[in-house]
Amino acid sequence: MDLIIGGAYQGKLEYAKNKYKLDDSDIYTCSENETLSFDRKCINAIQEYTLYCVKNSVDAVGEFKANREKWQNSVLICDDIFCGVVPLGADMRAWRETTGRLCAYLSSQADTVERIFCGLEQKLK
Amino acid sequence: MNVFISGGCKNGKSGFAQDIVVRLSANRPRYYVATMVPYDEEDRKRIALHISDRADLGFTTLETARDISSCLTKAEKNGTFLIDSVTALLLNEMFPDTHSGNADEHALQRCIDGLLKITENAENAVFVSDYIYSDAIRYDSFTENYRKSLAAIDKALAKACDTVIELCAGNVIFHKGRIEL
Repeated sequence: MDLIIGGAYQGKLEYAKNKYKLDDSDIYTCSENETLSFDRKCINAIQEYTLYCVKNSVDAVGEFKANREKWQNSVLICDDIFCGVVPLGADMRAWRETTGRLCAYLSSQADTVERIFCGLEQKLK
Repeated sequence: MNVFISGGCKNGKSGFAQDIVVRLSANRPRYYVATMVPYDEEDRKRIALHISDRADLGFTTLETARDISSCLTKAEKNGTFLIDSVTALLLNEMFPDTHSGNADEHALQRCIDGLLKITENAENAVFVSDYIYSDAIRYDSFTENYRKSLAAIDKALAKACDTVIELCAGNVIFHKGRIEL
């Protein structure tokens, strides 16, 4: 599994498409309004799925652990929303912490971890 | 040589950028392209602090809040330019009327064209931007549009520049190219 993280709009998906030769049918983009589908090569915007989990009391890390064999050869992409100030709202705080915990777990399981900064990759693992 | 610098707020970007300009320009002219339009006392204090920071560095200040590449016509050909900051430039171009709050939809392209023109025509240029992309907040559509636009400028400059630097609490991370420090 290859994990790509970074700030919003930094060009993570474009980088993944070029590097792993993905077309749109290979990519599942998460939404805060639905559960996750693990059956494509690339799972994009995982921070949207963690917001879904917070709103619906789902254990995001647990879901990923339970479905490990489905994503262990995938490309996973997530915004690093856990870098900023602690938000005032309880849901936003839980969202930030869940996303941080999930990314730490995914990093530990990943073959490679890259961070995208202004369209440029930085190898973390 | 073109250098792009970004990073968090108050991480030493401006001071670091000034040092790079001093080094790149050697004994040739150096220009501080000032983009910030002061709206209140807090802004005026921030600007006064920046002016005193660079007082002894021999910069000529070019006030250029919009139409950024016009700074080229007010300067010597062999000058080194410090554009501080891309963030303020986009704000000025996007929201020319601070009262209405309506965004100018052509602002993004105008900023990119103007900034790339500087990378192509200046002997040296150093661009300073702000990294505002890693927090857990759902912004209103105006702010989100601004963030997305600034990221598009950052990516265009990072592609065009020889050296891309992130400053993290005063520490330097090279994302592209290198310069001796």
